Amino acid sequence: MKEDSYILFDNYLNKELSASELISFEEKLNADADFKQEFEIYKALETSLASRFKNEEAEKELRNTISKLGSKYIKPEDSVKKKGKIISLFNYKQLMVAASIAMLIGFFLFNNGEPVYSDFSNHNALELVVRGNNNEAIVKAQDAFNSKNYKEALQQLTVLSETNSDDTEIELYKGICYLELNVYVEADVIFDAISSGNSAFVNTATWYKALSMLKQEQFEACKYILKTIPESAAEYKQAQKLLKKL
Amino acid sequence: MNQKPHADHIYIEALLKNNSRVLSKIYEKFSHKIVSYVRNNNGNSDDAQDIIQETLVTIYHQAKEKNFILTCPFDAYFYLLCKRRWLNELKKRGNSRVTILDDDTSITEEQEQQVEETEIFEKQHQLFESKFKELGAKCQELLKTTFKIKSMEKVAEILGVTYGYARKKKSQCMGKLTQLVKDSNEFHQLKAY
Repeated sequence: MKEDSYILFDNYLNKELSASELISFEEKLNADADFKQEFEIYKALETSLASRFKNEEAEKELRNTISKLGSKYIKPEDSVKKKGKIISLFNYKQLMVAASIAMLIGFFLFNNGEPVYSDFSNHNALELVVRGNNNEAIVKAQDAFNSKNYKEALQQLTVLSETNSDDTEIELYKGICYLELNVYVEADVIFDAISSGNSAFVNTATWYKALSMLKQEQFEACKYILKTIPESAAEYKQAQKLLKKL
Repeated sequence: MNQKPHADHIYIEALLKNNSRVLSKIYEKFSHKIVSYVRNNNGNSDDAQDIIQETLVTIYHQAKEKNFILTCPFDAYFYLLCKRRWLNELKKRGNSRVTILDDDTSITEEQEQQVEETEIFEKQHQLFESKFKELGAKCQELLKTTFKIKSMEKVAEILGVTYGYARKKKSQCMGKLTQLVKDSNEFHQLKAY
């Protein structure tokens, strides 16, 4: 009877079969293709439904976050509609020519006007005071960072951060390595976390967040962040200098 | 198969942890392209938002249930998923005169494979869900309670039945669901993969 099979499936998945029942169950799985197929479906259903119902609340919360982000980042239609019409009146060729001219101009301006990340990315040397026993990693990390080998430095810092998980300075320098390696997401996450905390590195992290924006050519965001650096901060002078150029 | 997570796996983790700071990067970096694609192909920004949201939720479920590991860059993977979802949506709406603007995104075999994995996962998920809804109300309720509350003793208590009865009913309902899935056309299509 089918019904017995399902009870058997359930008992098997709950690990409730006796040793001998288990053997005959597995024998049947191997011998009876139909039995096996039904078991595979039963098992897949069990995992799928369990996961779905267990995570129902979490899914709701995620949807909440996502739809908030969606309306923040995706602009409503009205503001774009007009643009669309204008474009459709254009001849595409003309548009392309206009676009390439605009790009050339942009390039020209950019090269002359916009400040560049490398002008401002003079990092303080990494000098980690000894904490814990991981001396070798500390020396390697310092050497690598100070000789601008950011890949190696990142590796060593990651090792270090495993044993010093609450060390903000190590985190900060990891962020700088990521920034140097153009892994912006990781870098920004680190700078955001530190700058919204209350360590001694708040302003430094804010400054680096601005540098990251600069490197990503998000000049408005860069400006906005620079303006949040207070006069009392060591980075204030640099920030003002960069602001003037933007 | 190479199961080493790509650096962009942080986005998958952000979905699992509902980390809005990292999730905002997805919107900041990738939504623009998807929105223009949808708009250029008979859709509006609301459509684009839905497409992005449903795609993210699918990836979330896949990661939760199957421990999905992203081994390629998120950008192309996500874009392709959203694009195909939008094309499906257009098909559903019966919009046959759509001219599809193709673009120059090139995809590697690995990306294609990951996209397919996610799509098959979703198809299965949808099939299970639609068949679940075909069950009688009592079965639905019993299974829901069973999966939400781990202990069958408690389930029996809540439903006011004996433990043995609850167990028996559960496997009966699951059996019925198994049959529904097995007899569906979609299942046979999925099996072909």
